[in-house]
Order: sequence, then structure tokens, then C-alpha cells
Amino acid sequence: MSGGTILEIHGLNKHFGPTYANRNIDFTLRRGEVRGLIGENGSGKSTLLSQIAGLYRPDSGEMLVNGGKYDPHSPLDANAHGISMVMQELGVIGSLPAGVNVFLGRTGQFAKGGIVDLREMNRAAAAVFEKWGLRMPPLNRLTENMIIEDRKMIELARALSIEPEILLLDEVTQSLSLNNRNSLYELIARYRDMDRSVIVITHDIEEMIRITDTITVLRDGQVVGEVVSAETDPDQIRMMMVGRQISGDYYRDDTTPDCDGETVLSVRDLSVPGELEDVSFDVHAGEILGFCGLSDAGIHSIGKAVYGLIRGSGTVHFLPTDVNITSAPQALANHIGYVPKDRDREALLIHASIRDNAVLPSVEELRAAAGLLPPGRVNSMAEGIRSRFSVKSTGIAQTTDALSGGNKQKINLGRWLAKDLRLLILDCPTRGVDVGVKAAIYALMKEAKKNGIAIILISDELTEVLGMADRLLVMKDGRVTKEIRRDEDFTEQSVIGVMI
Amino acid sequence: MPTTANGRRARTLKNWQFDLIFAAAIVLVLLLFHLISGGSFLEWSNVKGILSRSAYPSFIAWGFCFLFACGYTDMSIGGVVVLGSFASCIFGNWYGLPGVILGGLLVGLCLIFINFLIFTYSGIPSWIAGISLAMIYEALAFLLKISKGTKALISTSLDKEYRVLGQLPWCFILLLIGLVVVYFLYNRTTVGLNIRALGGSRDVAEKLGINAKKTLLFVGLISGILVGVSCVLQQSYAGQTTVKTGLTSINMIFQPLAIYLLAQIIRERINIVICVPICAFILYSIFNLLTMLGVPSGTLQEACLGAFIVIFGIVGSRKVRGVVK
Repeated sequence: MSGGTILEIHGLNKHFGPTYANRNIDFTLRRGEVRGLIGENGSGKSTLLSQIAGLYRPDSGEMLVNGGKYDPHSPLDANAHGISMVMQELGVIGSLPAGVNVFLGRTGQFAKGGIVDLREMNRAAAAVFEKWGLRMPPLNRLTENMIIEDRKMIELARALSIEPEILLLDEVTQSLSLNNRNSLYELIARYRDMDRSVIVITHDIEEMIRITDTITVLRDGQVVGEVVSAETDPDQIRMMMVGRQISGDYYRDDTTPDCDGETVLSVRDLSVPGELEDVSFDVHAGEILGFCGLSDAGIHSIGKAVYGLIRGSGTVHFLPTDVNITSAPQALANHIGYVPKDRDREALLIHASIRDNAVLPSVEELRAAAGLLPPGRVNSMAEGIRSRFSVKSTGIAQTTDALSGGNKQKINLGRWLAKDLRLLILDCPTRGVDVGVKAAIYALMKEAKKNGIAIILISDELTEVLGMADRLLVMKDGRVTKEIRRDEDFTEQSVIGVMI
Repeated sequence: MPTTANGRRARTLKNWQFDLIFAAAIVLVLLLFHLISGGSFLEWSNVKGILSRSAYPSFIAWGFCFLFACGYTDMSIGGVVVLGSFASCIFGNWYGLPGVILGGLLVGLCLIFINFLIFTYSGIPSWIAGISLAMIYEALAFLLKISKGTKALISTSLDKEYRVLGQLPWCFILLLIGLVVVYFLYNRTTVGLNIRALGGSRDVAEKLGINAKKTLLFVGLISGILVGVSCVLQQSYAGQTTVKTGLTSINMIFQPLAIYLLAQIIRERINIVICVPICAFILYSIFNLLTMLGVPSGTLQEACLGAFIVIFGIVGSRKVRGVVK
């Protein structure tokens, strides 16, 4: 953080209908500074970044870039001023190849005589990935077939392709596994060294303190404080965020593994070509079995394969009903629940109501004679989930896309916990949720564990699996390489040593 | 070789292997048709007929590629083809070949462009607006047919000497030119990429600076030209066009739609623009064989077509082992 001021914001206001998203924001960013923006879901962080990036126009207030008036009308306008953003929601076009997505909106620069030189464009895209040390997906492949992490990498490459002076990152790390996350940290450090600036939003407080120089805390759309990262601690940040003391110990504080209960699931020699190889494990009632690994380790395929979404060889034996799970309907009928990583694309009907989403896995239980769904039962169940899990919304008729990430996840998880489950598969359950919702999710997991539900917890966040799991299976290249129990060497160092 | 969801390699067919198998399968099917038909299917005169017949719907199917890529549909295309074919016939009989070309092309272009102006600026869902426009175009064609001033013009067939574009080699040459132009437009131009981006996610496309309205008008322009060419080819091939009423003009888009659907099924492996004429040829080969076998044209042949699409869809959409979508 060496240079002068690059971005100044004075008295910025933005409201949506009667709700103030940003109120009287004053903000200054210096050259070479990495600034963190933190706050609960709905505190106005993304709205502030969106205004800087030209996605929204402020209602009032002033922005200055390098001392000159800055009033971007569009993201392209912001790009022209050296500002680009990687958005929280996915922003790639599935029907176009990765290389085209990197330069979408600017493909004209590769056109000769009206024809776009795709090879030249792919070369330029590859150069961006290479320059910034990002893992490059196949550039000719359509992005609709890519995992969320690869799509995030494409968005990052797109933002970097304009060589911005200010890079805005809205909850990017949550989509990435450890190795790609480390690449991003290195990128941020390089940016700082190049005397360029970064504004980062992340819900991982420890991560934010580690990678930023300063942190601005927002609450209810207002700036409530600014701290120097090296001089603060997670508890101080949490208190500033929510306005009250929140203990950092929302993980389990015991070291006793709970894996002696009745075996609920027995997986033997599970192989999916290119994804999993000879994976075997048991899960017991009341146990949280964690899975961790690098991005290509195959941990996310475990959840899909156990739930019957992808098929391979080997057996997934569900012991309480003595059946081999081969399909998702069969898994659902046998009291197994699955919360996938990609909330918006794989879990929720994003344009449907809270009611429809909440009751979807329970339609069989709610069904009355002649297959009719009694509205009373449906509404009552949806209302129950909404109130039990404190979903901030106008009512069960509200569409899910209008909710914050945390509240979406409450529905996503809550609809399963409202069922009589024997096994729950959670794939990155706290991705993109704030500290308050995170604490609530961990509390729900502890409650489910107490009630004898077996849980498979797949996570890209090591601290999460270490904090919650009874046993941890470390994966590499589709295989389980090590099993660690909670009462053994249950530390980040020992796990990372096996992962890499 | 495709990568899996984990980013690792899976054992799948390579593109050239797939192309080879696909080409071999088509040849085998054609030979089978030849055998079934008692040796008359692959006679040059028969193949010529199939090729000539494939040209007109291929252009409409290419139009669908652009329409569907940007997330729109247009149910009035059949009505436009009727009016465009009339124009092609009338102007052809007045001014010769230039009249055939300009009449169909201009009417197709103008009407589809008007459609897109309505879709873009009215906010009415395109399929609803399209049905309304189909009714208007059908009524217009009917009025032309019964009006004293135009009745005779409509009833007259296009003079035989101006029908060359509907016959070989011209229809084939037009098809090749169309293939090259559409291929580059769809895959290798900024406007083509923008159209596909718009269909993928209008929200994301607009955030990336793509002007949605301008892009949609380009779709109207491109589709209009393609439909215009198909009007010219339709009139040149048949020489006469029947007036459609009661929304029966929509039937006219079913065969091009079937071609588009077939092409869509294998687009992951072969570019959809290239698939279109291949699928048109396959489709009309099937119709041709069924006719040779004495299957009555109309409902029964269309039932066979439906069954063929379902079978093709099942085979074509089978997941390649190890690839997770």
C-alpha cells in the first residue's frame, strides 16, 4: 500500500424500493491496497461493488477515480476506467466456449474482415490464464458442461484480461478449492506488488484478515468501521458485523470421534471413470464423515455418486432398508438427502417460490388421495420451514431468486432437515453465506448429529471439515488416500500434507 | 478428448473418430435404403430429387439456428414463406429471374424484420406475437387470392424457364454458398457470438456490454434473408404456392423444425450449421424411401418421421461414458 488515492466515494446512496442497500457510504482506496469488504448477507457489500463496477447507478453521491469524476454507465464504461469485477453470481454463457467467454462483448478486437479469429482469441485467453497462474479449462469447450470452479476461473480471466487498475472480487474464493484459492491469493499479492488495488468480499473472516491490508465493515447498508487487517482479530470483525458478541467457537469443541453407531451406509469399490477409483467407506448413525481434497480430487463426485446422480461400478449399500442406491429417486425414497454445492443451478428452482422449493423433496409425504397436494399441508410445511430456519423474506410466495445467498441456503438445507432423514449429504453447505448463517448451519448439523442422522460433509474449506467431522477422508486423484479420526492428528498441516 | 467434472481425462471418442463413424453410418443407411427400395434409391435422378427438395427447408432451419440461439421463436415463418413465394412468382413472371430472386428475398426479409421489431419493442412473448402475425399473413395471402386485381397473378404458376434455382445444380450451389456464409456468421462473427450469448443469458450478455436490442434486430435481418432465400427456392422448386388459412401455415415449419431438432441432437460433435443440410438430406431420404415403399404421404409418413426423431434423439443423447454434464 504505497501510492496515493485511486478511488474515492462520498455520500453514496442506493435504494431498491423502500429498502436502503447503501446509505451515505464514504470510502477511500489507495493504490496497491487490498481492501476487504465484510458484512452480513444483505448488508450492502455487493451493491457497493456493483455501483463501482457500473452494474448499478447510485441514487446520489459521488465517485472519483484518480481524482476525476467517475460515473460509470455500464461495466464496459467501468472497464474503460480500469475497473473490472468478478461477480458473486455466475456470469458465463453456457452455450459459448470458454475462450469466447473470456472476451465476450469485446470479440470485435479479434475480427479481421468481419470474421473473428477464434485461434487468436484463444491464444490471447490462454495468455491471460498463463500470466496470472490460473488453472485453464479447455478453451474450445462449452462452459455449460464445466464445473462451477472452472466457470469462476473464466470469469476471473475475463476480469483480468482488461488489465484493471482496480479488481473487484465478490465472493470468489468460496467457489474455489484449496489449490485454486492459493493461486488467487498469489494473484492478489502480485496485484499489490504491481501497485494496483483489489477490493475483496468474502465471508471467511480469517481469510480476509490474511489477504487484505484493510477491512471495511458494513451493516444495514452503512459503513460501521474500518480496521487495519494486521491489527484486528476475527472476534472484533464479527462483533462489528452483527453489532453483538459472537463466539468464534461455532465449530465442535470436542475431540471425540462419534463413529461407533449403527452403520447406515456402506460404500464399496465405488468407481466412476475419470472421477472416482475404488472408493470404500462406511458412515454411521450420528457421525459426520468429512471429505476434503484439491479441485481434481473427486470429493464433489462422492456426493453425486452416493445420491445416485452419477453411476459407476461398485456398491452404495444403504443398510437400514438393505438396498443398493442406484438413482436419486431411490435415494430420496430411502431417507437420504443431498445438498449440492451449486445452489442456484443444482439445488433450487431459482425462479419458483419459497413454498415450491421448500416442499419439493417432501411431495410424496404431502400427497393426498388421487395424487393431489392439499394447499393447506403445503403452505403449512413451507411456513414451518421458513419460520424454523428464520428465512428473511416477505412470505412463502416470494420467489427464491430475490433472496440473499444465506437465506437461499437456509431453504436448501431446511427442506431436508424437515424430513425424516437417515443420511444427509452436504456439499459445501456454507459456500457464500455470512458468519451468522454459518453458525446457524453448524448448529443445525450438530442437532442433526444428535438426532442420529449420519452426515457426509464435503467441503473445500479445511477448517470446516476439521471443525465439524468425526472422521476425515482425504482424497487425491479420485482415491481416498488417508483417513484421520478426530482424536488423531486432526490438523490442517497433516491434511494438507496428504492432499498435495 | 473431453474432460470430466473433475477436470481429468475420460475415455471417449475423439472428434475425428466420431465423424468417421457418423459418415460411415450415413453411407450404410443409404445403402440399406438402396437395397430396401430394390436398387432405385441411389439412382442419380432420385438423389437429384432429394437434393433439390432439401435446399428450401435447410435455409429455414438455419434461420431457426439464429432464432433459437437468441431465445426467440417465430410461428409466422410459414405465412411469410407463402407471401414471399407469391411475390417471387408474380415478380418472376414480370421481370424474369431477377424478379424471382428479389421478390422472395425482399418480402421474406421485410416481414421477418418487422416481426423482430415487434418482438423486440412490444414486449409480447415471441411465440404469441408470432401466432398473431401468422394469422395476419395468412389473411393477407387469402385476400390477395380472392381480390380481383391479384387473383389471376396468384393463380398463375411461375414460368418454367425461371425455375432454375429450384433445380440442380443451382439449388445445390445456393446451398453450398448458404452453408459457408451461415457457418461464418454463426460461429465466427461478433454478431453471431453476441446472438448466442443473448440466448445463453440476456442478463450476463447485457452486463458484458452486448446491445440486446441491436443484436435482436440483427437476428431479424439474418433470419429474414434466410427465409427470403427459402421463399425463392420454394417457388422455384414447386412453381406454385397454396394459400394457407386457419393457422395451417404453421405446418410448413414442421419439417425445417424436425431438421433443426435432428441437427441439435448431434451439435455437440458436429457444428449445427453443418448438421442442418445433412439432416435435411437424411430426412427427405426417409420420406423418399417411404414413398417408394408405398407409404401414403401425409400423416403416416409424418408418424414415421416422429418415430425417427425419437430414435435418433435417444441414440444421439446417450451420455458418453465418463462425461458428466
